[in-house]
Amino acid sequence: MSDATGVIHDIGYQRYTGPRLGRRQVFGALYGHGLRTVFGLGRSAKAKIFPWLVVAVVTVVAAGLTAVRSQLGQVVLTYAQFADAMSWLVIFFVAVAAPELVSRDLRSGVLPLYFSRPLPRGDYALAKLAALMTALWLLLGGPQLVMFLGAAFTTSRGMRGVWDELLDLLPGLLYAGLWAVVFASIGLLVASLTGKRAFAAGGIVAVFLMTTPVVGVLSIMPSRTVNELAFLASPSSLVSGVGTWALGDLLTQGQEGGIPIGGFGPVYAVVAVLLVAACVSLLLLRYRKVAAR
Amino acid sequence: MSTVTWITARGLFGRSRFLMLLPLPLVLIGLAVLCRSLGVDPGQWGPPVLVGLGLAVVLPVVALIVGTGVLGAEIDDGTVVHILTKPLPRWQIVLPKLAVAAGVSAVTVAVPLYVAGVLADSVRLGLALVAASVAGALAYSALFLALSLVSRRPVLLGLVYVLIWEGLLGRFVDGTKVLSVQQWVIALADRIAPTALLGTTVSVPVAAVLTALVTVGFTALAVDRLRSFSVAGETS
Repeated sequence: MSDATGVIHDIGYQRYTGPRLGRRQVFGALYGHGLRTVFGLGRSAKAKIFPWLVVAVVTVVAAGLTAVRSQLGQVVLTYAQFADAMSWLVIFFVAVAAPELVSRDLRSGVLPLYFSRPLPRGDYALAKLAALMTALWLLLGGPQLVMFLGAAFTTSRGMRGVWDELLDLLPGLLYAGLWAVVFASIGLLVASLTGKRAFAAGGIVAVFLMTTPVVGVLSIMPSRTVNELAFLASPSSLVSGVGTWALGDLLTQGQEGGIPIGGFGPVYAVVAVLLVAACVSLLLLRYRKVAAR
Repeated sequence: MSTVTWITARGLFGRSRFLMLLPLPLVLIGLAVLCRSLGVDPGQWGPPVLVGLGLAVVLPVVALIVGTGVLGAEIDDGTVVHILTKPLPRWQIVLPKLAVAAGVSAVTVAVPLYVAGVLADSVRLGLALVAASVAGALAYSALFLALSLVSRRPVLLGLVYVLIWEGLLGRFVDGTKVLSVQQWVIALADRIAPTALLGTTVSVPVAAVLTALVTVGFTALAVDRLRSFSVAGETS
């Protein structure tokens, strides 16, 4: 057994010598894949049921509002009020999408495969977060575009009317972006805590729903300051508060609306920024820990 | 106490994630105590705390997580096979699991509701809320347990019911309230302890009959579905 008899043959395998795509392409691929995952594209029909159910409902509501407006000439909901009215559907959409994005990867243990690529830990989480934000923004922005098109084609004042309508739409889209950023950061953080999609969905809904009645209670407290700060307690009313402060009349377009936040507008903006920052940094911390396992 | 009951209870309590359920009742009690100690009029804080938080959020969400968890978790990781291959009639699997689910949800929800009811009005309202929420927990648990056998995504289906049917449609379309467990619970509680705090459009006999019907019907459905159950992998 002392004679070395083995020979390693060169059977012609070649190393890859072509160009290698960098970090940006990895991020982009992950983002694109995440966005497709949210809507169930490229997956079985079962995965499409819930996301497209929500999309269908919001689109039908927007079409109904457009029809009412074109027939009766009455604005039932402005663009921003539309986003507020759809809040329960947005919560449901987050509960569907966020576990799909992160919980499945945790459950099936593919994260080591991801992190064996030239992919920084943070990039994985940020790409998923960006995908969820984009999806939420599309979910709220798409129906607003439907409403805009309906209004633009039925306006009686020509190009002037279309231009005015566009000026109403843009703050609405900005406001939808605010919704998307806040809800995506909270939802993805909750979902990243557990590998079970069922628990992740339940947890997200519990977090969002539990906070809403707190606002209702705080706003009937005997202190005016507490009343005006009450809307900080829930993500959806926090978003409304920031919108009321930052965009003001642009959102309500002279109608009744907005929430009574008094002079605390800047507080709402600061809290919203801090909330998103805290959620994102906790998410990054979470993935530092997961990746270390 | 059968072995299935024991396994189910241990599966629920044995994990730390059961602690995730605790904040919901704690917030309920905390808000009630806060309002009471500040002397806010119960007519004002009663509806948002008792109905808005207690019956509309805590009860369905706890029942959803527990009710789909007792059987759904075992189906998910495939260990349900170990129970199914034992020589047990199917109802002896479903009923203990339903009992555990309903019991856990009922205790988690009824205790804070009792405290809040006593603080809001009287012991009678507290007891009425306890009785009604136990009935509601039974109906919800039966519904969600059956869902976990009908579909591979029981939590999302349950959320569709809780969020869209009860939450969204219940607010805008009055007719849907007849088929809403939440409204039945309110009707029952209001019948036992008539106060100005609870109010609904559903009549009490309808609520009582439908609650019983849902409980029995969905339990029967669950037993029937478990009779010919195919174990499959996670949906893609």
